[in-house]
Amino acid sequence: MLNSSGYIFRETINSMRRNPWLSLASVVTVMVSLMILGYSIFFLANASNLAKSFESELEIGAFVETSFTPEEVQDVKSQIEQMQGVDSVTLVTKEQALEDIGKTLGSTQSNIISDVGGTNPLPDMFTVKVTNPQNVVALADSVKALPGIYKVRYGQDFVDQLLKFTQWLRWIGFGVVAAFGVAAVVLISINVKMNVFSRRREIQIMKLVGASNSFIRWPFLIEGLALGLVGGALAAVIVGIGYNWITVYVQTSLTFLPVVQNEVLFRQVSVGLLLGGMAMGALGSIFSLQKFLRA
Amino acid sequence: MIQLTNVSKIYPNGARALVDVNLKIGKGNFVFLVGPSGAGKSTLIKLLYREEIPTRGQVQINSKNLVRMREREVPYLRRSIGVIFQDFKLLPNKTVFENVAFALEVIGVAKREVRNRTLLTLELVGLKAKERAYPHELSGGEQQRVCVARAIINNPALLVADEPTGNLDPDTAWDIMDLLYDINKRGTTIVMATHARAIVNKMQKRVIAIENGRVARDEEKGGYGYDA
Repeated sequence: MLNSSGYIFRETINSMRRNPWLSLASVVTVMVSLMILGYSIFFLANASNLAKSFESELEIGAFVETSFTPEEVQDVKSQIEQMQGVDSVTLVTKEQALEDIGKTLGSTQSNIISDVGGTNPLPDMFTVKVTNPQNVVALADSVKALPGIYKVRYGQDFVDQLLKFTQWLRWIGFGVVAAFGVAAVVLISINVKMNVFSRRREIQIMKLVGASNSFIRWPFLIEGLALGLVGGALAAVIVGIGYNWITVYVQTSLTFLPVVQNEVLFRQVSVGLLLGGMAMGALGSIFSLQKFLRA
Repeated sequence: MIQLTNVSKIYPNGARALVDVNLKIGKGNFVFLVGPSGAGKSTLIKLLYREEIPTRGQVQINSKNLVRMREREVPYLRRSIGVIFQDFKLLPNKTVFENVAFALEVIGVAKREVRNRTLLTLELVGLKAKERAYPHELSGGEQQRVCVARAIINNPALLVADEPTGNLDPDTAWDIMDLLYDINKRGTTIVMATHARAIVNKMQKRVIAIENGRVARDEEKGGYGYDA
Protein backbone atom coordinates (compact mmCIF):
# COMPACT_ATOMS: atom_id res chain seq x y z
CA MET A 1 0.00 0.00 0.00
CA LEU A 2 2.94 2.32 0.65
CA ASN A 3 3.77 2.40 -3.06
CA SER A 4 0.21 3.39 -3.83
CA SER A 5 -0.27 6.20 -1.34
CA GLY A 6 1.23 8.79 -3.67
CA TYR A 7 -1.05 7.70 -6.47
CA ILE A 8 -4.12 7.75 -4.25
CA PHE A 9 -3.32 11.20 -2.90
CA ARG A 10 -2.75 12.63 -6.39
CA GLU A 11 -6.00 11.18 -7.67
CA THR A 12 -7.95 12.58 -4.73
CA ILE A 13 -6.69 16.10 -5.39
CA ASN A 14 -7.26 15.73 -9.13
CA SER A 15 -10.83 14.59 -8.80
CA MET A 16 -11.68 17.42 -6.41
CA ARG A 17 -10.31 19.87 -8.95
CA ARG A 18 -12.35 18.31 -11.72
CA ASN A 19 -15.70 19.40 -10.25
CA PRO A 20 -14.94 22.43 -8.09
CA TRP A 21 -18.53 23.70 -7.87
CA LEU A 22 -19.98 20.35 -7.02
CA SER A 23 -17.25 19.90 -4.43
CA LEU A 24 -18.10 23.29 -2.98
CA ALA A 25 -21.80 22.43 -2.87
CA SER A 26 -21.04 19.15 -1.12
CA VAL A 27 -18.84 20.88 1.44
CA VAL A 28 -21.43 23.60 2.08
CA THR A 29 -24.31 21.17 2.61
CA VAL A 30 -22.24 19.08 4.99
CA MET A 31 -21.29 22.29 6.76
CA VAL A 32 -24.86 23.59 7.05
CA SER A 33 -26.25 20.33 8.34
CA LEU A 34 -23.51 20.00 10.92
CA MET A 35 -23.76 23.67 11.90
CA ILE A 36 -27.42 23.21 12.69
CA LEU A 37 -26.57 20.05 14.58
CA GLY A 38 -23.86 21.84 16.56
CA TYR A 39 -26.02 24.82 17.50
CA SER A 40 -28.91 22.54 18.40
CA ILE A 41 -26.67 20.57 20.73
CA PHE A 42 -25.49 23.75 22.44
CA PHE A 43 -29.00 25.12 22.67
CA LEU A 44 -30.29 21.89 24.20
CA ALA A 45 -27.37 21.78 26.62
CA ASN A 46 -28.20 25.29 27.73
CA ALA A 47 -31.89 24.55 27.99
CA SER A 48 -31.32 21.53 30.19
CA ASN A 49 -28.82 23.52 32.21
CA LEU A 50 -31.42 26.23 32.66
CA ALA A 51 -34.03 23.66 33.59
CA LYS A 52 -31.71 22.16 36.17
CA SER A 53 -30.94 25.50 37.77
CA PHE A 54 -34.65 26.20 38.04
CA GLU A 55 -35.41 22.74 39.32
CA SER A 56 -32.92 23.21 42.09
CA GLU A 57 -34.62 26.40 43.24
CA LEU A 58 -35.63 25.61 46.81
CA GLU A 59 -38.51 28.05 47.01
CA ILE A 60 -42.22 27.51 46.74
CA GLY A 61 -44.57 30.44 46.52
CA ALA A 62 -48.01 29.78 48.09
CA PHE A 63 -50.86 32.27 47.68
CA VAL A 64 -53.52 32.66 50.35
CA GLU A 65 -57.21 33.35 49.70
CA THR A 66 -57.85 37.08 50.18
CA SER A 67 -60.86 36.29 52.38
CA PHE A 68 -58.62 34.83 55.11
CA THR A 69 -58.08 36.91 58.26
CA PRO A 70 -54.55 37.48 59.57
CA GLU A 71 -55.17 34.88 62.34
CA GLU A 72 -56.21 32.25 59.84
CA VAL A 73 -53.14 33.12 57.79
CA GLN A 74 -50.90 32.59 60.82
CA ASP A 75 -52.62 29.23 61.35
CA VAL A 76 -51.84 28.12 57.81
CA LYS A 77 -48.26 29.29 58.26
CA SER A 78 -47.72 27.11 61.30
CA GLN A 79 -49.23 24.16 59.47
CA ILE A 80 -46.71 24.58 56.68
CA GLU A 81 -43.88 24.97 59.16
CA GLN A 82 -44.76 21.60 60.65
CA MET A 83 -44.45 19.78 57.34
CA GLN A 84 -41.42 17.60 56.89
CA GLY A 85 -38.68 18.97 54.68
CA VAL A 86 -39.62 22.58 55.20
CA ASP A 87 -36.72 24.79 56.15
CA SER A 88 -38.47 28.07 56.79
CA VAL A 89 -41.65 29.90 55.95
CA THR A 90 -41.77 33.64 55.41
CA LEU A 91 -44.97 35.56 55.07
CA VAL A 92 -45.11 38.29 52.53
CA THR A 93 -48.27 40.20 53.42
CA LYS A 94 -50.36 41.87 50.79
CA GLU A 95 -49.25 45.23 52.15
CA GLN A 96 -45.60 44.33 51.71
CA ALA A 97 -46.28 42.97 48.26
CA LEU A 98 -48.00 46.17 47.28
CA GLU A 99 -45.15 48.20 48.66
CA ASP A 100 -42.70 46.15 46.60
CA ILE A 101 -44.69 46.77 43.47
CA GLY A 102 -45.02 50.43 44.37
CA LYS A 103 -41.30 50.72 44.78
CA THR A 104 -40.64 49.29 41.37
CA LEU A 105 -43.25 51.61 39.91
CA GLY A 106 -41.86 54.59 41.84
CA SER A 107 -44.81 55.53 44.07
CA THR A 108 -45.67 55.42 47.79
CA GLN A 109 -48.06 53.01 49.51
CA SER A 110 -50.83 55.50 50.03
CA ASN A 111 -51.13 56.57 46.46
CA ILE A 112 -50.63 53.12 44.98
CA ILE A 113 -53.74 51.91 46.83
CA SER A 114 -55.69 54.73 45.35
CA ASP A 115 -54.07 54.05 42.03
CA VAL A 116 -55.41 50.47 42.04
CA GLY A 117 -58.88 51.55 43.09
CA GLY A 118 -58.83 51.89 46.90
CA THR A 119 -58.47 48.22 47.88
CA ASN A 120 -55.36 46.06 47.76
CA PRO A 121 -55.99 43.36 45.13
CA LEU A 122 -52.93 41.33 46.06
CA PRO A 123 -53.06 38.12 48.13
CA ASP A 124 -50.85 37.23 51.05
CA MET A 125 -48.07 34.89 50.03
CA PHE A 126 -45.79 32.45 51.80
CA THR A 127 -42.28 31.88 50.61
CA VAL A 128 -41.48 28.32 51.61
CA LYS A 129 -37.85 27.29 51.67
CA VAL A 130 -37.29 23.58 51.22
CA THR A 131 -34.34 21.58 52.56
CA ASN A 132 -34.10 19.12 49.64
CA PRO A 133 -34.82 20.09 46.02
CA GLN A 134 -36.22 16.63 45.34
CA ASN A 135 -39.06 17.29 47.77
CA VAL A 136 -40.18 20.48 46.04
CA VAL A 137 -42.88 18.88 43.92
CA ALA A 138 -44.36 16.76 46.74
CA LEU A 139 -44.27 19.63 49.20
CA ALA A 140 -45.84 22.01 46.72
CA ASP A 141 -48.69 19.53 46.31
CA SER A 142 -49.29 19.18 50.05
CA VAL A 143 -49.11 22.93 50.55
CA LYS A 144 -51.67 23.39 47.83
CA ALA A 145 -53.96 20.87 49.56
CA LEU A 146 -54.14 23.09 52.65
CA PRO A 147 -57.37 25.10 53.18
CA GLY A 148 -56.93 28.69 52.18
CA ILE A 149 -54.10 28.12 49.67
CA TYR A 150 -55.46 28.62 46.20
CA LYS A 151 -52.29 28.50 44.19
CA VAL A 152 -48.66 27.43 44.46
CA ARG A 153 -45.84 28.37 42.16
CA TYR A 154 -42.43 26.81 41.94
CA GLY A 155 -39.61 26.29 39.45
CA GLN A 156 -41.23 23.19 38.04
CA ASP A 157 -43.87 25.23 36.23
CA PHE A 158 -41.25 26.93 34.18
CA VAL A 159 -39.21 23.79 33.86
CA ASP A 160 -42.18 21.89 32.44
CA GLN A 161 -42.75 24.49 29.80
CA LEU A 162 -39.08 24.65 28.98
CA LEU A 163 -38.92 20.89 28.61
CA LYS A 164 -41.96 20.89 26.36
CA PHE A 165 -40.26 23.49 24.20
CA THR A 166 -36.94 21.67 24.08
CA GLN A 167 -38.79 18.48 23.17
CA TRP A 168 -40.23 20.25 20.15
CA LEU A 169 -36.93 21.79 19.31
CA ARG A 170 -35.25 18.43 19.52
CA TRP A 171 -37.61 16.98 16.91
CA ILE A 172 -37.46 19.96 14.60
CA GLY A 173 -33.69 20.12 14.94
CA PHE A 174 -33.46 16.39 14.29
CA GLY A 175 -35.63 16.74 11.20
CA VAL A 176 -33.67 19.64 9.76
CA VAL A 177 -30.33 17.99 10.47
CA ALA A 178 -31.56 14.74 8.91
CA ALA A 179 -32.82 16.55 5.79
CA PHE A 180 -29.57 18.41 5.30
CA GLY A 181 -27.60 15.28 6.12
CA VAL A 182 -29.40 13.33 3.40
CA ALA A 183 -28.85 16.19 0.95
CA ALA A 184 -25.15 16.24 1.82
CA VAL A 185 -24.80 12.49 1.34
CA VAL A 186 -26.62 12.68 -2.01
CA LEU A 187 -24.44 15.56 -3.21
CA ILE A 188 -21.25 13.82 -2.20
CA SER A 189 -22.41 10.66 -3.90
CA ILE A 190 -23.18 12.60 -7.10
CA ASN A 191 -19.77 14.20 -6.83
CA VAL A 192 -18.02 10.86 -6.49
CA LYS A 193 -20.19 9.34 -9.19
CA MET A 194 -19.21 12.06 -11.66
CA ASN A 195 -15.57 11.47 -10.91
CA VAL A 196 -15.99 7.75 -11.36
CA PHE A 197 -17.67 8.49 -14.68
CA SER A 198 -14.99 10.88 -15.88
CA ARG A 199 -12.36 8.28 -15.01
CA ARG A 200 -14.23 5.26 -16.37
CA ARG A 201 -11.56 4.48 -19.00
CA GLU A 202 -8.87 4.56 -16.40
CA ILE A 203 -10.93 2.37 -14.10
CA GLN A 204 -11.59 -0.08 -16.93
CA ILE A 205 -7.87 -0.41 -17.58
CA MET A 206 -7.08 -0.64 -13.89
CA LYS A 207 -9.46 -3.57 -13.61
CA LEU A 208 -8.00 -5.11 -16.74
CA VAL A 209 -4.43 -5.08 -15.49
CA GLY A 210 -5.47 -6.45 -12.13
CA ALA A 211 -5.68 -3.51 -9.75
CA SER A 212 -7.55 -4.69 -6.69
CA ASN A 213 -11.01 -3.28 -6.08
CA SER A 214 -9.92 -1.63 -2.88
CA PHE A 215 -7.09 0.11 -4.74
CA ILE A 216 -9.57 1.45 -7.28
CA ARG A 217 -12.01 2.53 -4.57
CA TRP A 218 -9.58 4.25 -2.22
CA PRO A 219 -9.22 7.57 -4.08
CA PHE A 220 -12.99 7.93 -4.32
CA LEU A 221 -13.53 6.97 -0.72
CA ILE A 222 -10.86 9.40 0.39
CA GLU A 223 -12.37 12.08 -1.79
CA GLY A 224 -15.75 11.64 -0.07
CA LEU A 225 -14.09 11.58 3.33
CA ALA A 226 -12.12 14.74 2.53
CA LEU A 227 -15.22 16.61 1.35
CA GLY A 228 -17.07 15.57 4.50
CA LEU A 229 -14.13 16.39 6.71
CA VAL A 230 -13.73 19.89 5.27
CA GLY A 231 -17.46 20.50 5.73
CA GLY A 232 -17.29 19.20 9.30
CA ALA A 233 -14.23 21.29 10.14
CA LEU A 234 -15.85 24.46 8.79
CA ALA A 235 -18.99 23.69 10.78
CA ALA A 236 -16.95 23.13 13.94
CA VAL A 237 -15.11 26.42 13.49
CA ILE A 238 -18.29 28.38 12.75
CA VAL A 239 -20.22 26.81 15.62
CA GLY A 240 -17.27 27.44 17.96
CA ILE A 241 -16.86 31.09 17.01
CA GLY A 242 -20.59 31.73 16.90
CA TYR A 243 -21.19 30.14 20.27
CA ASN A 244 -18.37 32.11 21.82
CA TRP A 245 -19.83 35.29 20.45
CA ILE A 246 -23.32 34.45 21.76
CA THR A 247 -21.86 33.55 25.15
CA VAL A 248 -20.13 36.91 25.48
CA TYR A 249 -23.30 38.70 24.39
CA VAL A 250 -25.53 36.85 26.87
CA GLN A 251 -23.09 37.26 29.74
CA THR A 252 -22.88 41.01 29.29
CA SER A 253 -26.51 41.82 28.53
CA LEU A 254 -28.58 38.97 29.99
CA THR A 255 -26.53 38.39 33.10
CA PHE A 256 -29.20 36.36 34.90
CA LEU A 257 -29.11 33.59 32.26
CA PRO A 258 -26.68 30.80 33.09
CA VAL A 259 -24.61 29.87 29.99
CA VAL A 260 -22.96 26.51 29.52
CA GLN A 261 -19.22 26.89 29.06
CA ASN A 262 -18.03 23.37 29.21
CA GLU A 263 -14.63 22.68 27.67
CA VAL A 264 -15.34 18.96 27.48
CA LEU A 265 -18.67 19.49 25.74
CA PHE A 266 -16.96 21.91 23.38
CA ARG A 267 -14.34 19.37 22.42
CA GLN A 268 -16.88 16.57 22.15
CA VAL A 269 -19.09 18.59 19.82
CA SER A 270 -16.11 19.58 17.64
CA VAL A 271 -14.91 16.00 17.32
CA GLY A 272 -18.49 14.90 16.76
CA LEU A 273 -18.95 17.36 13.91
CA LEU A 274 -15.70 16.23 12.28
CA LEU A 275 -16.67 12.58 12.59
CA GLY A 276 -20.17 13.39 11.36
CA GLY A 277 -18.73 15.05 8.27
CA MET A 278 -16.48 12.09 7.58
CA ALA A 279 -19.37 9.69 8.05
CA MET A 280 -21.49 11.62 5.54
CA GLY A 281 -18.59 11.63 3.09
CA ALA A 282 -17.92 7.93 3.47
CA LEU A 283 -21.62 7.14 3.13
CA GLY A 284 -21.88 9.23 -0.04
CA SER A 285 -18.85 7.52 -1.59
CA ILE A 286 -19.99 4.05 -0.67
CA PHE A 287 -23.43 4.63 -2.19
CA SER A 288 -22.00 5.65 -5.53
CA LEU A 289 -19.17 3.12 -5.57
CA GLN A 290 -21.41 0.14 -4.97
CA LYS A 291 -23.19 0.74 -8.23
CA PHE A 292 -20.15 1.46 -10.36
CA LEU A 293 -17.48 -0.91 -9.15
CA ARG A 294 -19.35 -4.13 -8.64
CA ALA A 295 -17.08 -6.52 -10.46
CA MET B 1 -3.58 -24.41 -19.73
CA ILE B 2 -7.04 -23.27 -20.84
CA GLN B 3 -10.00 -25.59 -20.62
CA LEU B 4 -13.62 -24.82 -21.46
CA THR B 5 -16.11 -27.51 -20.53
CA ASN B 6 -19.69 -27.43 -21.92
CA VAL B 7 -19.65 -23.65 -21.88
CA SER B 8 -22.79 -21.77 -22.86
CA LYS B 9 -23.32 -18.05 -22.60
CA ILE B 10 -26.74 -16.48 -22.89
CA TYR B 11 -26.86 -12.72 -22.38
CA PRO B 12 -29.66 -11.16 -20.31
CA ASN B 13 -31.32 -9.97 -23.54
CA GLY B 14 -31.63 -13.60 -24.62
CA ALA B 15 -28.82 -13.63 -27.17
CA ARG B 16 -27.12 -17.04 -27.26
CA ALA B 17 -23.48 -16.10 -27.76
CA LEU B 18 -21.94 -19.51 -27.05
CA VAL B 19 -23.54 -22.95 -27.08
CA ASP B 20 -21.94 -25.95 -25.44
CA VAL B 21 -18.33 -25.11 -26.27
CA ASN B 22 -15.56 -27.55 -25.32
CA LEU B 23 -11.96 -26.45 -25.84
CA LYS B 24 -8.47 -27.21 -24.63
CA ILE B 25 -5.59 -24.89 -25.32
CA GLY B 26 -2.14 -25.96 -24.21
CA LYS B 27 0.62 -23.88 -22.68
CA GLY B 28 2.61 -21.92 -25.26
CA ASN B 29 -0.01 -22.36 -27.98
CA PHE B 30 -0.77 -19.71 -30.56
CA VAL B 31 -4.47 -19.90 -31.43
CA PHE B 32 -6.55 -17.93 -33.91
CA LEU B 33 -10.27 -17.57 -33.30
CA VAL B 34 -12.05 -16.95 -36.62
CA GLY B 35 -15.64 -16.73 -37.70
CA PRO B 36 -18.29 -14.26 -38.81
CA SER B 37 -19.03 -11.12 -36.78
CA GLY B 38 -21.35 -11.87 -33.89
CA ALA B 39 -20.48 -15.57 -33.88
CA GLY B 40 -19.23 -15.47 -30.31
CA LYS B 41 -15.48 -14.85 -30.66
CA SER B 42 -15.47 -11.78 -28.45
CA THR B 43 -17.58 -13.52 -25.84
CA LEU B 44 -15.12 -16.40 -25.76
CA ILE B 45 -12.24 -13.92 -25.32
CA LYS B 46 -14.10 -12.17 -22.51
CA LEU B 47 -14.62 -15.46 -20.71
CA LEU B 48 -10.86 -15.95 -20.66
CA TYR B 49 -10.11 -12.79 -18.70
CA ARG B 50 -13.31 -13.14 -16.73
CA GLU B 51 -15.00 -10.07 -18.06
CA GLU B 52 -17.95 -12.43 -18.49
CA ILE B 53 -18.99 -15.57 -16.64
CA PRO B 54 -20.60 -18.43 -18.59
CA THR B 55 -24.26 -19.13 -18.04
CA ARG B 56 -23.45 -22.87 -17.93
CA GLY B 57 -20.23 -24.85 -17.93
CA GLN B 58 -16.76 -24.28 -16.52
CA VAL B 59 -13.78 -22.20 -17.58
CA GLN B 60 -10.40 -23.16 -16.19
CA ILE B 61 -7.08 -21.41 -16.63
CA ASN B 62 -4.02 -23.04 -15.10
CA SER B 63 -6.45 -25.27 -13.18
CA LYS B 64 -8.09 -22.23 -11.61
CA ASN B 65 -11.84 -22.28 -11.99
CA LEU B 66 -12.94 -18.87 -13.23
CA VAL B 67 -16.62 -19.53 -12.59
CA ARG B 68 -16.27 -20.42 -8.94
CA MET B 69 -13.63 -17.75 -8.40
CA ARG B 70 -14.44 -15.08 -5.82
CA GLU B 71 -14.61 -11.47 -6.89
CA ARG B 72 -11.61 -10.48 -4.84
CA GLU B 73 -9.46 -13.16 -6.54
CA VAL B 74 -10.19 -11.75 -10.00
CA PRO B 75 -7.53 -8.98 -9.87
CA TYR B 76 -4.86 -11.60 -9.21
CA LEU B 77 -6.05 -13.70 -12.15
CA ARG B 78 -5.90 -10.61 -14.37
CA ARG B 79 -2.29 -9.98 -13.41
CA SER B 80 -1.40 -13.23 -15.15
CA ILE B 81 -3.38 -12.38 -18.30
CA GLY B 82 -2.57 -9.64 -20.81
CA VAL B 83 -5.34 -8.19 -22.96
CA ILE B 84 -5.05 -6.34 -26.29
CA PHE B 85 -7.92 -4.56 -28.01
CA GLN B 86 -8.77 -3.37 -31.47
CA ASP B 87 -9.19 0.20 -30.15
CA PHE B 88 -6.03 0.09 -27.98
CA LYS B 89 -7.74 1.62 -24.92
CA LEU B 90 -4.87 3.95 -24.08
CA LEU B 91 -5.28 6.82 -21.63
CA PRO B 92 -5.13 9.99 -23.77
CA ASN B 93 -3.75 12.29 -21.07
CA LYS B 94 -0.84 10.02 -20.20
CA THR B 95 2.40 9.61 -22.11
CA VAL B 96 3.54 6.32 -23.63
CA PHE B 97 5.71 5.70 -20.60
CA GLU B 98 2.92 6.52 -18.17
CA ASN B 99 0.40 4.36 -20.01
CA VAL B 100 2.66 1.32 -19.76
CA ALA B 101 3.86 2.09 -16.24
CA PHE B 102 0.25 2.46 -15.16
CA ALA B 103 -0.22 -1.31 -15.33
CA LEU B 104 2.47 -1.76 -12.68
CA GLU B 105 1.67 1.31 -10.58
CA VAL B 106 -1.88 0.22 -9.91
CA ILE B 107 -0.84 -3.17 -8.62
CA GLY B 108 1.51 -1.58 -6.14
CA VAL B 109 4.93 -2.21 -7.70
CA ALA B 110 7.75 -0.09 -6.27
CA LYS B 111 8.62 3.06 -8.20
CA ARG B 112 12.15 2.12 -9.22
CA GLU B 113 11.02 -1.28 -10.44
CA VAL B 114 8.16 0.31 -12.38
CA ARG B 115 10.67 2.52 -14.17
CA ASN B 116 13.09 -0.27 -15.02
CA ARG B 117 10.48 -2.70 -16.25
CA THR B 118 8.63 -0.06 -18.26
CA LEU B 119 11.77 0.99 -20.11
CA LEU B 120 12.67 -2.64 -20.74
CA THR B 121 9.23 -3.42 -22.14
CA LEU B 122 9.17 -0.29 -24.31
CA GLU B 123 12.49 -1.38 -25.75
CA LEU B 124 11.05 -4.81 -26.47
CA VAL B 125 8.14 -3.35 -28.50
CA GLY B 126 10.47 -0.84 -30.19
CA LEU B 127 9.02 2.34 -28.68
CA LYS B 128 11.77 3.50 -26.36
CA ALA B 129 12.33 6.63 -28.45
CA LYS B 130 8.69 7.64 -28.05
CA GLU B 131 8.33 7.23 -24.32
CA ARG B 132 7.41 10.91 -23.83
CA ALA B 133 4.87 11.06 -26.65
CA TYR B 134 1.13 11.15 -26.07
CA PRO B 135 -1.12 8.58 -27.78
CA HIS B 136 -2.58 11.12 -30.24
CA GLU B 137 0.95 11.83 -31.48
CA LEU B 138 1.45 8.17 -32.47
CA SER B 139 0.42 6.16 -35.51
CA GLY B 140 -2.11 3.35 -35.11
CA GLY B 141 0.62 0.74 -35.18
CA GLU B 142 2.60 2.56 -32.52
CA GLN B 143 -0.48 2.88 -30.34
CA GLN B 144 -1.08 -0.83 -30.61
CA ARG B 145 2.52 -1.44 -29.59
CA VAL B 146 1.90 0.60 -26.45
CA CYS B 147 -1.15 -1.54 -25.79
CA VAL B 148 0.93 -4.70 -26.29
CA ALA B 149 3.63 -3.34 -23.99
CA ARG B 150 1.05 -2.67 -21.30
CA ALA B 151 -0.39 -6.16 -21.74
CA ILE B 152 2.94 -7.99 -21.42
CA ILE B 153 4.74 -5.87 -18.85
CA ASN B 154 3.59 -8.14 -16.05
CA ASN B 155 4.96 -11.24 -17.87
CA PRO B 156 1.54 -12.83 -18.26
CA ALA B 157 1.24 -16.55 -18.99
CA LEU B 158 -1.64 -15.81 -21.35
CA LEU B 159 -2.14 -13.01 -23.85
CA VAL B 160 -5.62 -12.60 -25.32
CA ALA B 161 -6.24 -10.26 -28.24
CA ASP B 162 -9.56 -9.19 -29.73
CA GLU B 163 -8.89 -8.19 -33.35
CA PRO B 164 -5.60 -6.45 -32.53
CA THR B 165 -4.93 -5.63 -36.19
CA GLY B 166 -8.50 -4.59 -37.03
CA ASN B 167 -7.67 -0.88 -37.14
CA LEU B 168 -4.25 -1.20 -38.80
CA ASP B 169 -3.07 -1.22 -42.39
CA PRO B 170 -1.60 -4.55 -43.60
CA ASP B 171 2.08 -3.62 -43.19
CA THR B 172 1.57 -2.31 -39.67
CA ALA B 173 -0.55 -5.34 -38.88
CA TRP B 174 2.37 -7.57 -39.81
CA ASP B 175 4.65 -5.60 -37.48
CA ILE B 176 2.28 -6.32 -34.63
CA MET B 177 2.05 -9.99 -35.62
CA ASP B 178 5.84 -10.24 -35.61
CA LEU B 179 5.79 -8.81 -32.12
CA LEU B 180 3.15 -11.29 -30.97
CA TYR B 181 5.10 -14.10 -32.62
CA ASP B 182 8.18 -13.14 -30.59
CA ILE B 183 6.17 -12.96 -27.41
CA ASN B 184 4.74 -16.41 -28.12
CA LYS B 185 8.24 -17.75 -28.76
CA ARG B 186 9.17 -16.66 -25.24
CA GLY B 187 6.52 -19.01 -23.87
CA THR B 188 3.39 -16.89 -23.60
CA THR B 189 0.15 -18.55 -24.72
CA ILE B 190 -1.71 -16.38 -27.23
CA VAL B 191 -5.39 -16.50 -28.13
CA MET B 192 -6.31 -14.03 -30.85
CA ALA B 193 -9.70 -13.36 -32.39
CA THR B 194 -9.28 -11.99 -35.91
CA HIS B 195 -10.76 -11.36 -39.34
CA ALA B 196 -7.32 -10.99 -40.95
CA ARG B 197 -7.36 -13.77 -43.54
CA ALA B 198 -3.85 -13.18 -44.86
CA ILE B 199 -2.33 -13.32 -41.39
CA VAL B 200 -4.12 -16.52 -40.41
CA ASN B 201 -3.24 -18.23 -43.67
CA LYS B 202 0.40 -17.23 -43.56
CA MET B 203 1.13 -17.98 -39.87
CA GLN B 204 -0.07 -21.61 -40.05
CA LYS B 205 -1.14 -21.80 -36.40
CA ARG B 206 -4.03 -23.58 -34.75
CA VAL B 207 -7.36 -22.17 -36.00
CA ILE B 208 -10.65 -22.47 -34.15
CA ALA B 209 -13.71 -21.35 -36.11
CA ILE B 210 -16.77 -20.23 -34.16
CA GLU B 211 -20.14 -20.12 -35.91
CA ASN B 212 -23.44 -19.40 -34.20
CA GLY B 213 -21.80 -19.86 -30.86
CA ARG B 214 -20.45 -23.35 -31.60
CA VAL B 215 -16.99 -24.63 -32.48
CA ALA B 216 -17.37 -25.31 -36.21
CA ARG B 217 -13.76 -26.26 -36.92
CA ASP B 218 -10.60 -26.78 -34.93
CA GLU B 219 -7.41 -27.63 -36.80
CA GLU B 220 -3.68 -27.41 -36.23
CA LYS B 221 -1.84 -25.33 -38.80
CA GLY B 222 -5.15 -24.25 -40.29
CA GLY B 223 -6.18 -21.53 -42.69
CA TYR B 224 -8.78 -18.76 -42.39
CA GLY B 225 -11.21 -20.88 -44.35
CA TYR B 226 -13.92 -18.36 -45.27
CA ASP B 227 -14.32 -17.00 -48.76
CA ALA B 228 -13.88 -13.31 -49.08
